[in-house]
Amino acid sequence: MKALKLKRDDLYTYLESLKSYGELWGPVAKGEKYVYARLTNVRDVALGALRTIIPPKKFFVPPRFTMFRYTDDHYAESFDDVKPRVLFGLHPCDIHGLLILDELFLERFPDPYYKRRRDATAIVGLSCIPDDKCMARSTNTHAVEGGFDLAFNELGNNYLVWIGSSLGDDLVRLNLDLFSEDIEPEDLKTYLAWRRKRDSRYKLSFDLTGMPDIMELSWDSPMWNELAEKCLACGSCSMVCPTCNCYNVRDVSDLTLNSGVRERHWDSCMNKEYALVAGGHNFREARAERLKLWYTHKLKAFITEYGKPSCVGCGRCIDTCPVDINVAEVIRGLTGQKVTL
Amino acid sequence: MNNKPKVGFYSFSGCEGDLLTILHCEDELLDIFSAVDIRSFRMASSERHDDENLDIAFIEGSITTNKHVKKLKVIRERSKIVVALGTCACYGGPQSARLGYNDWEERFKKVYGSAKLTVAKPFESQPLDEFIKVDYRIPGCPIDKYQFFYALTRLAKGMPVELTKFPVCAECKWNENECLLLKGQLCLGPITAGGCNSRCPNHGLPCIGCWGPTDEANVASEINLLKEKDFSAEEIINKLRLFGGAGMVRRFGELLGIKPKEEKTLSKTQGVSKKKREKK
Ligand code: SF4
Ligand code: SF4
Ligand code: SF4
Ligand code: SF4
Repeated sequence: MKALKLKRDDLYTYLESLKSYGELWGPVAKGEKYVYARLTNVRDVALGALRTIIPPKKFFVPPRFTMFRYTDDHYAESFDDVKPRVLFGLHPCDIHGLLILDELFLERFPDPYYKRRRDATAIVGLSCIPDDKCMARSTNTHAVEGGFDLAFNELGNNYLVWIGSSLGDDLVRLNLDLFSEDIEPEDLKTYLAWRRKRDSRYKLSFDLTGMPDIMELSWDSPMWNELAEKCLACGSCSMVCPTCNCYNVRDVSDLTLNSGVRERHWDSCMNKEYALVAGGHNFREARAERLKLWYTHKLKAFITEYGKPSCVGCGRCIDTCPVDINVAEVIRGLTGQKVTL
Repeated sequence: MNNKPKVGFYSFSGCEGDLLTILHCEDELLDIFSAVDIRSFRMASSERHDDENLDIAFIEGSITTNKHVKKLKVIRERSKIVVALGTCACYGGPQSARLGYNDWEERFKKVYGSAKLTVAKPFESQPLDEFIKVDYRIPGCPIDKYQFFYALTRLAKGMPVELTKFPVCAECKWNENECLLLKGQLCLGPITAGGCNSRCPNHGLPCIGCWGPTDEANVASEINLLKEKDFSAEEIINKLRLFGGAGMVRRFGELLGIKPKEEKTLSKTQGVSKKKREKK
């Protein structure tokens, strides 16, 4: 991995250059929140944005999209909306979130819809200073060593720009004159000082070692019922979590009745019908069972299978759940600290 | 003439907004008419075949008189599948907002005085399923045309209809709206049936519950949450009842301050308000 420097003042010029690769997207303000949006004007980018309402998974698995169009005897997949894109401004937790989705959608059973979009997209990371809802340090997702093409790190009046792939190298070449290779000893000091500052800002800190065991032992904890009484089963937590990946499909017929489309849309295990099977049996009828599944997925099953939690500490569930059920509260509850609902 | 499913559209008390929604589908109207054999659609055509059997009856509006009940029962008998179209047919609509308070006669008198009623015997507005078996409900005030197309095509192919089970919040997140509830507004999104593409929050307006409650609405938690946000019980209950009608009263009556017992009396005296008057 190679590092270069870019003057802060040159950022906008460089962002403009990135457009020659494809559509440029980045975080922009929406009311008091942020969303990833097309950067027609590069100055719209919200450099101080922390979490966007929806994580960048929306670019690779859109909330709803058409998989294919069918007729009685034929079907044709639809990739019309897949075009070269640069996503600028992904924070480390979100890059880790994508790496988790990669494991699920590219490894054992590659998902062509995900893969096409992923292949067409360049990832440009951006460093961040956490707020009181970030917990990426606890999940060890506060820094990135891969999973990006370029990663920008704040460095005084400059950005330190890490090149993470050959595509990243090509992206730098879109405007090579803006970059310098002169990394000085002073830069290392500045970088280390910045890292210390970032690490000192985490207000949420948890020890997640042995979480699968703790989850197992808490299987019958009354906490689940207490949470379930509050939970609105709205599914928002799944929609905003960068690693939630469940979906449903449905066929929507044209009115002519002999053709139609297969649509795919996000689903959530918090939805009552999620575990409903033919014959009417529901494996997780009770809300408490569903909440348990959600958190088993984040804090137990994924660790057992992949050696890391599937929570990347982005804080979106903390920011989103209307009744304050979130990963921090659940970890507190599980580890014996009082749940403050 | 063909083996297309025979379909009828009917309307009781309501604004006819659901049937208008269908009529306004100018681009698709011809396809609708060729997908199914429409035997009755008063708003679209004066041609009616009110004596033959139907495969599917779409019925909008709530039931408010004894004549309605009679007509409704005949439609049921003639139809293999009955679909309640719109929130009035599904839950009673805004005209059922005071179900269970047992003050209908008082309100009726306030508006109509002691005028002699000769045309029909009126009673408090009720949804279709108070009187007949309803096979599917397509809620909405008015309905969403795509949800209607979806149901129509499924039924035309003899398949069951599965409509959106998520509350409004799911689609609201897909649309990346700032959450109005978190901003302190009285939003009913978490307990309201989705499928509307979170139309109101998309425009910065809180959800008023016009699609009725979800199957799993946690109304108790929603009420607590809104109280914590300093809304008064009255304000919350009025909002819940505005479109929730029978959907709210039957399932969450107690939370709304209605004793389940009164509720029973209500459904027994359904459409026979005379009995109730005699009792008094
Ligand atoms: S966001 Fe909160 S209320 Fe909604 S389903 Fe998730 S835990 Fe339940
Ligand atoms: S937590 Fe639930 S919605 Fe999220 S990925 Fe796991 S099963 Fe799916
Ligand atoms: S569980 Fe919460 S904090 Fe963790 S990744 Fe999901 S949304 Fe972010
Ligand atoms: S604005 Fe309303 S509908 Fe949208 S997420 Fe918030 S509570 Fe749900």
